[in-house]
Order: sequence, then structure tokens, then C-alpha cells
Amino acid sequence: MLNSFIFIVMPYAALALLIFVTPYRFFSNRLTWSAYSTQFLERDRLFWGINPWHYGILPVLAGHFLGVIFPGPMKAILGNQNNLIIFESIGLALGLFAVFGCLALLLRRVNTPILKRVTFASDWVLLYLLAAQALSGVYVATFMRWGSQWYLHTVVPYFWSLATFNPQIEYMADFPLVFKLHAACAFLIVALLPFTKLVHLLYVPVHFLMDPPILYRWRSK
Amino acid sequence: MNVRAQLVMVFNLDKCIGCHACSISCKNIWTDRKGAEYMWWNNVETKPGVGYPKRWENQDKFKGGWIRENGKLKLRALGKGPTLLNMFFQPNMPKLDDYYEPFDFDYSNLYKAPPGSDQPVAEAFSQISGERMEEITNGPNWDDDLSGSQVYAVNDVNLKDSSLVSDYGRMFMQYLPRICNHCLNPACVASCPSRALYKRGEDGVVLVDQDVCKGWRFCTSACPYKKVYFNWQSGKAEKCIFCFPRTETGQCNACAHSCVGRIRHVGVLLYDADRVEEALLKPDDQLVAAHRKVILDPRDPQVRESARNNGVTDQWLEAAEKSPVYALVKEFAVALPLHPEFRTMPMAYYIPSLSPVISSGGDLHELADHGTFPLLEKMRAPISFLASLLSGGNEEIVAEILRKQIALRLFKRAGNLGQPIEESILKNAGLDEVGANKLYRLFTIAPYRERFIVPTQQREEQDPHERKGASGFGILKKTRGPK
Repeated sequence: MLNSFIFIVMPYAALALLIFVTPYRFFSNRLTWSAYSTQFLERDRLFWGINPWHYGILPVLAGHFLGVIFPGPMKAILGNQNNLIIFESIGLALGLFAVFGCLALLLRRVNTPILKRVTFASDWVLLYLLAAQALSGVYVATFMRWGSQWYLHTVVPYFWSLATFNPQIEYMADFPLVFKLHAACAFLIVALLPFTKLVHLLYVPVHFLMDPPILYRWRSK
Repeated sequence: MNVRAQLVMVFNLDKCIGCHACSISCKNIWTDRKGAEYMWWNNVETKPGVGYPKRWENQDKFKGGWIRENGKLKLRALGKGPTLLNMFFQPNMPKLDDYYEPFDFDYSNLYKAPPGSDQPVAEAFSQISGERMEEITNGPNWDDDLSGSQVYAVNDVNLKDSSLVSDYGRMFMQYLPRICNHCLNPACVASCPSRALYKRGEDGVVLVDQDVCKGWRFCTSACPYKKVYFNWQSGKAEKCIFCFPRTETGQCNACAHSCVGRIRHVGVLLYDADRVEEALLKPDDQLVAAHRKVILDPRDPQVRESARNNGVTDQWLEAAEKSPVYALVKEFAVALPLHPEFRTMPMAYYIPSLSPVISSGGDLHELADHGTFPLLEKMRAPISFLASLLSGGNEEIVAEILRKQIALRLFKRAGNLGQPIEESILKNAGLDEVGANKLYRLFTIAPYRERFIVPTQQREEQDPHERKGASGFGILKKTRGPK
């Protein structure tokens, strides 16, 4: 029952919300489309939270996607034990870095009075969720060794089975509870993304790299 | 030739009395709302002083504007690659304390306070956190009229000799009203990874598209004038919009309209967009001359032809011909850009002040031949100070303008007293009688329709009245947070 909920209901619900709510929000009110930076109000503590968090979590997240998108090449690379050890060590280090950053951000929100008026329920929910996600990820990396390898043989086929609308939860059914929580948390974060400031993830400035520096807009042209 | 039109404001510093009417009218219209309490799209600073935000002119600290590198212009702070690496934390962004923490007073305490032995007072509270503020340590125009000069004015980067500020015999001060300069080479626009900032093609006004802005904050650090602000409530950048809903209908900006000293002029300039970069590559002291070269003569048929090809209408060309701004900036060349060495090519120009000047007693002020004004080198406001502010350090350019102003005054003085005027005085300053009379009129008695020649244009938004009553400029929908 729990398995079906976490591995069938949650991913599809999260995906549906992501696909339908995101464009709705984009077209109905883009004024809320912001990362809601608070650096202007408090910057000293932010430095120690925001940098470790982003520089830790982004490569780790990219690693997760890499396995799903290129399972074949990843299997080949991680088949080599040295590669596997290097990959795992870097992943764990970045994960710890992210946990440190996330906890620093959480403590900052608690201890900085000037942030009171710009901190909403969604900020707390996100901070706790992301902290739980990062912590459970570090736990998995530490106590369920060689995750980058077995991930390719369990989670990745499960994801592909989701994509073909033939969810095979057998791949996931026998994992320990903490891993299931990690998965559930991930789906929850995806589900919340279109409703919160996490939408800032959906914009990667690439045009900017090619554009001429000064942008003109003409109403008549 | 690629001719474009630009709406430009000129400030006559000689006439600014620092009354802040401009700041107040701007605040009332545009920034009287949550998240924008600390913003002054228009502000008036006392010079010498550190300004708003504190020490904004110090680019070693804030890293705004452009620099020349290997024959190219480059943002001083971050290139494109480093921009992406610094998206999460902005190393050069000014913080709230560089402006001030906005406050209000709890007036309800005056009648709600329980009976006691003391008079109740209206206590100050922060408009951001809502917490009570024990002591207010900073506020708008905190260093107004040289107050706290030993803390603030001595740190003015334009002041070569900071002992001036403590010497009562030689002390001077003047005001510097500032809005967004709507630059031809805006650093804020170039720095925005979301491409939310843009220059409006028709009138050159620099705007932030509130829908596109994601709040990465690069513009706030890149602008060397610190005229792009971060709204802590909406999480987006905001800036002076040159009152476009007003100028589109042919009215002048609110700040200019409310100016009691009538120091401001608004009009159209035509410029050659293809020559901007080349002009900005010149050394600091040649920048003003390069600026002037980029500005084109609206009576030149070739210029008019090229402008028409770019969609500049006849109405705009006519406005450009009559433009008081063209007269002041190019024809008489008496107005200078603020800190041209930041290399954004600002499109707000300043007529340097002749005053404070009169104090002919003692040996502090040696008078020039004509016996009314001190020698230029003995002016109270040192030429080096004005040059650092307005001409990239070129003192000769400032001196030229001061000579024109002096000649003009002598000419009118002689006229009023019925005395003969030596023609050489006007001629030596590069003026003739017709020109002097025109300049005199612009400086003094020109009425509204001569100071402001703003041609109408297509409206950006069709519902200005609805928006005026909404939660701020252009914001109809709800931003985050309680209403």
C-alpha cells in the first residue's frame, strides 16, 4: 500500500502538478516568479549557507539525472572500481556540503529578526523538506554503499517504467524505509515546485551568454 | 549612421536649493509602497557628501560600470561566465545598511498609552521587520547640508583636499539631484542574465520588465550610480521609469514638474548608436568631448533622413529641433554628464554650479579683472571637485562652462544697469549676444513649454488609471506576502 502510494501515486501526481500548474502560474501571474533573495537584508550568514547549498546540491542533482538519461555509459564508467570510488567520494562530499549549507540557511531564518516579514510558511516547508532530503541522501550514501552503481539497476529502470506508464514498483519495494522517504521527499519537492519560489530552478540563463550586451525593445517594430 | 532618439533631462546645479520637492513627488507617485520604502528613484544629495547609498561613487567598493580592457568595454564587476557562478550570492551588491533601514513612528501610542508619569511618545519602528527601533542611526538625507561632515563629507571621493570640509572659511556645499541616467550603454541592462532590463527603442528609457525579472540582482551591483533597487517584498528589481506614463502623454516627469527652483529641462536628443562604443573607449578626460560628438544636430538633413529610417516621427524631429536639452548639452555645451568615466554614457546632464561664490572680503577671494567674480582658481567649489564629478577630471571643460556663466552674468548685469558691455567678454567665453540672450532665457525665465519639450508617443499600457490605484507601478496582480 505504502509502496504503491510512494512509487505510483506520488510521482504521477507530482508530474501532473509540475506540468499543469507551472504554465498556469507562468501565464497568470509572473510577478511571483522570483528566487526571493534576502541577501539585501542579511548577507553575512547567507554567504555561508547559500553557496555551500547550491554548489553542493546542483552537481548531486545533475548526477541523479545523468544516471537516468545515460544509464548505459554510466554503467560502463562506474563498472571500473576506481571510478566508482571517486564518484561516490565526490558525491558524498558534495552532499555533506549541501547539508551544511541547508542547515546554515535554516538557522539563519530562525536567528535573523529582519527576515521575519519575508519568511512565509512555504519558506519553512521548503527549508525543512530540502534539509530532510539532503540528510536522507547523505545517509543513503553513507550506509547503503555504492548507490551510484545500484541506482542504475534499480531506480533508473523504475523511472523508465514510470515514463512508459507501466510502473514496476518491484524495483523499489524492498528498499529500507529511509530510502523510500528519500524518494517520497523528492516527489513532494517536485510537486511543490510550481507553487513555491523553487520555480527559479526552471530558468537557466543561456540566451544571456550569446546576446549582445544592450537589449532594445521597440513597441513599433 | 544609426540615429536614435533619447529623452534627456538637464539639471542646472546653480539653481538647486535642495528642497527635495522632486524626491517627494517621485516617492508619492512611484515608491510609496511595501518593499520600496527605502527607494528614492529621485534623490538629492549634498556635495561634498557620501550620497545615497553611502559611497556609491566608490567603484573600488561597489564595482559598478564599465572599464576598458584590450580595446574593448567590459563590465567592471563580472563577465558573463563569472555571472553564472555568482548567481547565488552577489559579491558586490549594496546591502540595506548602505541605504538605510526605513522606519515609521507608532503614532497610536500617543492616545493608546496607559496612564503613567511620562508623556507618551510615538516610538520608531522598522518598516521592514516591524520591530521597535531603539535608535535611528541612518535615514534619507542623513548627511543633508553637510551634517556630520566629519563622518560623511570628508569621505567624498571627489574631494582632493578633505580639510576643506573642516575649514569654515573655505567650506562649500551644493546639491546634486539624481535620477536614473537612462544611459546609452547601461551596465544594468548588460548585466541582467534574465534579460529583464531593456532600453525602450523609441525614447531610450531603461525599464525593468517585472514579469521577466527573476531577482538575480546583478543590475543593482552593475549600475555605477546605484539607481536600480531591489524590492525586498516582491523579490524583483525596480528603478526610475522616467515617468513614462506621463511623458508618453507629453507631460514632463513628476520630479521636473514639481521642481520649485525650475532647475530641470527635459527634451529630445538624437544620437548615433553606432558611435557609442567607440566614444566610450576614449581616455577619461576626453570622454565629454566624445559624448558631445555622439549627439547629432537635428537640423542636419542627413541626420533627419537616418532618424526617419529608424522610425523617429516628424513630431519627434520637431521636438528635437526645439529641444532645450540640445541647446544646453551641444549648442552651448554648458551641461556635463555625471561621472562619464563610469562609461555608461549617462543621459542626464548637469550644468556645473558657479555658486557658492560671493564672498569678496579678505584674502581668500581674489577678484578677477571685471571685479565681480573671484578668479576661477579661487572659486569656493574647487574646479577639481566639479571636474571629478562631471568631466572625468578634465578641468578645462568645467572652466570653459564657468567662464560662459560668468560672461553671461556680466552681460546681463551691464544690460540691467544700462552700462556698456565689452564685447570681448562674451566673445572670449565663446558666446555672442543672440546666444547669450537665449541661454539667459533658458537659465531663468523660460516657462514650462520651453523648459520641457516632450513629444507624445504610443502608450506602453492602456490602463494607466487602473494601474495608478494598484499596488505600484505597472503592478496589477498580487505580489507575494500579506496585502
